[in-house]
Amino acid sequence: MGLRQKIIDSSLYRDFIQRKATGALRTYYDVPPADPSRSVMETEFIALDLETTGLDPKRDEIVSLGWVIIRQLGVDFSSCEHILVRPTQDLSESSVVVHRIFDSDVADAPDIATALEHLLPEMAGRVLISHHAPIELGFLGQACKRCFGAPLQIPTVDTLVLALRDIRRTGQPMKPGALKLDNLRRNHNLPPFRAHNALSDAIAASGLFLAQIAKRDPKGALELNRILR
Amino acid sequence: MSIELEEIAEFLKQHHPFALLPDEVINTLPRRLTAKYFRAGTKVLSPEEQCLHLYIIRSGGTETRDPDGQLLARLSEGECFGVRAMYRNGKAANSITTLEDSLCYLLPEKDFHDLAAKYPQFKYFFAQIGGDRLRSGMQLIESRDDDQLKLMSIRVADLIARDLVSIDKSATILEAGQLMSKERVSCLLVTEDSDKIAGIMTDRDLRNRVVAQARSYDEPVTAIMTAKPISVHPDDYAFDALLTMTRHNVRHLPVMKDGKAVGMITTNNLLARQSLSAVYMAGRIGKLTDPVDMAKVIDQVPELLSHLIEAGATSQNAGHIVTTLSDAATVRLLQLAEEKLGPPPVPYVWMAGGSQGRQEQTALSDQDNCLILDDAYDPEKHATYFKGLADYVCDGLHKVGYVYCPGDMMAKTDQWRQPARTWQQYFNKWIEQPEPKSLMLCSVWFDLRPIHGTKGLFENLHRMIVSKAKDNRIFQAYMVGNALTHHVPLGFFKNFVMIRGGEHDSTLDLKHNGVVPIVDLARIHALANGVDAVNTFERLNAVKSFPSISTQGASDLLDAFEFVSITRLKHQVRQIRRGDAPDNFLHPESLSAFERSHLKDAFSVIKNLQNALEHAFGKSGT
Repeated sequence: MGLRQKIIDSSLYRDFIQRKATGALRTYYDVPPADPSRSVMETEFIALDLETTGLDPKRDEIVSLGWVIIRQLGVDFSSCEHILVRPTQDLSESSVVVHRIFDSDVADAPDIATALEHLLPEMAGRVLISHHAPIELGFLGQACKRCFGAPLQIPTVDTLVLALRDIRRTGQPMKPGALKLDNLRRNHNLPPFRAHNALSDAIAASGLFLAQIAKRDPKGALELNRILR
Repeated sequence: MSIELEEIAEFLKQHHPFALLPDEVINTLPRRLTAKYFRAGTKVLSPEEQCLHLYIIRSGGTETRDPDGQLLARLSEGECFGVRAMYRNGKAANSITTLEDSLCYLLPEKDFHDLAAKYPQFKYFFAQIGGDRLRSGMQLIESRDDDQLKLMSIRVADLIARDLVSIDKSATILEAGQLMSKERVSCLLVTEDSDKIAGIMTDRDLRNRVVAQARSYDEPVTAIMTAKPISVHPDDYAFDALLTMTRHNVRHLPVMKDGKAVGMITTNNLLARQSLSAVYMAGRIGKLTDPVDMAKVIDQVPELLSHLIEAGATSQNAGHIVTTLSDAATVRLLQLAEEKLGPPPVPYVWMAGGSQGRQEQTALSDQDNCLILDDAYDPEKHATYFKGLADYVCDGLHKVGYVYCPGDMMAKTDQWRQPARTWQQYFNKWIEQPEPKSLMLCSVWFDLRPIHGTKGLFENLHRMIVSKAKDNRIFQAYMVGNALTHHVPLGFFKNFVMIRGGEHDSTLDLKHNGVVPIVDLARIHALANGVDAVNTFERLNAVKSFPSISTQGASDLLDAFEFVSITRLKHQVRQIRRGDAPDNFLHPESLSAFERSHLKDAFSVIKNLQNALEHAFGKSGT
């Protein structure tokens, strides 16, 4: 991990940005972050996935968010949420092809600030789980800055990074597609998901996360520290 | 509901007992669930450990052992554990260990009990044996019968269905699989020193421990078998064997005597008790001497059918079981007739046609039967005997509850009580010089099945029918013409076309517009391809590989047949439960939107395949 990332994840930096935050992000920072010395069993996680109009957080926008909460290493399906977000610009053809969300679908959807007001309380005190977290962190960070005047800091577990560590540990060469969510799930004997949207991918990542933890420590006594990004 | 939760609901819908719940209820369940993941070899529950959830296996597999370490069950995808804990104040009874990496869905105890309280079929599935589950089955038998035909009175030895198939423990997985396939068994006994039991291997093991784990077929069968399986003694009561099976959730039980295996009893845990009821009913019929008494047993068929359907039987299961009882009554009446009239002067075979022939009877069935006599039959000398025999049996069946066939397609009718040579002439004429009208009437005779007597008499005839029908395009075209007279009740815009006016206003006739067209389609494809099966499922499965119908078409038709048949049976069960006489006339509003759309799909499958049939056969002869 680079120095810049260390600073961004530090509590000092958190104190600094907390003061600049407004609205829902302010309230989010009022809740202390998850304690990295606690066990994963005692930690609450939020598995999250986004769909966006492109890959550049500065230029592109979030069109949907899906998440699910994990408590005591169990995925709680009652906490599932899936929300569409109305972007400020019309959806481009290429992005529609990818996520199949059309302008008509999002015409009545909330804007990103409203969506974040819904999401941020769910993230407070929890650890983010994402498959390839830089995307989620980049887009959410940009959105928080635009809407609430400060970036987002959240302890994060990246299932892709955990998978990468698993593969490196075996010493085997990496096969193409080895880090894809579907393939990783199959390797852990998890059932396939036919649908693909933000929520199904969040749920898929949550299942993979449980499998990755079980592999490291079936009892879940593992310290959170050991798996954070 | 969002797509991914829908997938969880779909998963539940595919597995008992959730499949028995209404869709609206299943759709609320995913949000009640929590997912947990366990590595292979993890002890998920230990005896007396707190267990506040019912565990549903989503992927992977587990093993249940009692506190002494005795293997009780192996569970796989779609099966549940923690059931005992639900009835023991949240304390696990047995230990559960994962055999593979497993993902489980956890349903809270409270939701489990809410479902059990609201939906008897759900409760029934999990009910402790000895409790509700047996009681309702016993009532079925005992309610009308003071002789108490009890489950307690039959021994395991009477239930051993077939010879044991076993393999030495030195065999490889490949050899075991080949033997299972050759012998058509779902389970093998693995032996050592020629007759000592080393273990048991099931098709489930092949799936879970060989294919799923990409294990080499060259490994020894001992690597995948379950060592030291639980077993029963031939003198044990059937009751105890069932108890063992249901409690341990195993489908196969070796029967052991003096340390040697003497047989195997297999069952599909839930249907076991129901079909067993049928076994007892059939056994009971075999002991009665008066059709009036037999009627008392057959009167319970609607009740039996309700239990079967509620327990999740397929229409094929139900048809088979219900037909078994008609067969039993027929055989018993023939025995009684022979006792009364003396032994037959020439050999004969009693044949069932129509739904009894196809083993597809439901709660209401009339009789279709005929007699094939040996060619040594001499009308001068023997007519009186066989007339007497046929009258005795047909009249008896009528009294028992299988009413006379409205078209007189019965052995009682002189025309249908003939020596084999005359039957040959009949079939010759029907096949080589077909007339639409007569063909329509005699379609029941193309679904013949021997019930009692010298079956060889039929075999020769059957061979002739199959080979002649296969080669005769004109006959086939006429059969197609007949088959297409049964229209599917779908309008241009795929809306239902219902019966208008009269007693059955605004209903669908599920028999003539649903079941019969599929039966007809299956019969034609079977006859045209030289397939000798008569059961519709068997016919459709057999014709899959022939060019007259696409594999997809045959599969779709099988699904449609099951759906229409089960919808019809459920409709009849509802009527029986209300105390009404069962019929085939369904008000579509009584179905859920989901069922309605399925029914439309089933009808359009039939329609498509009728059209395809017309193209494949229809043009040449008409």
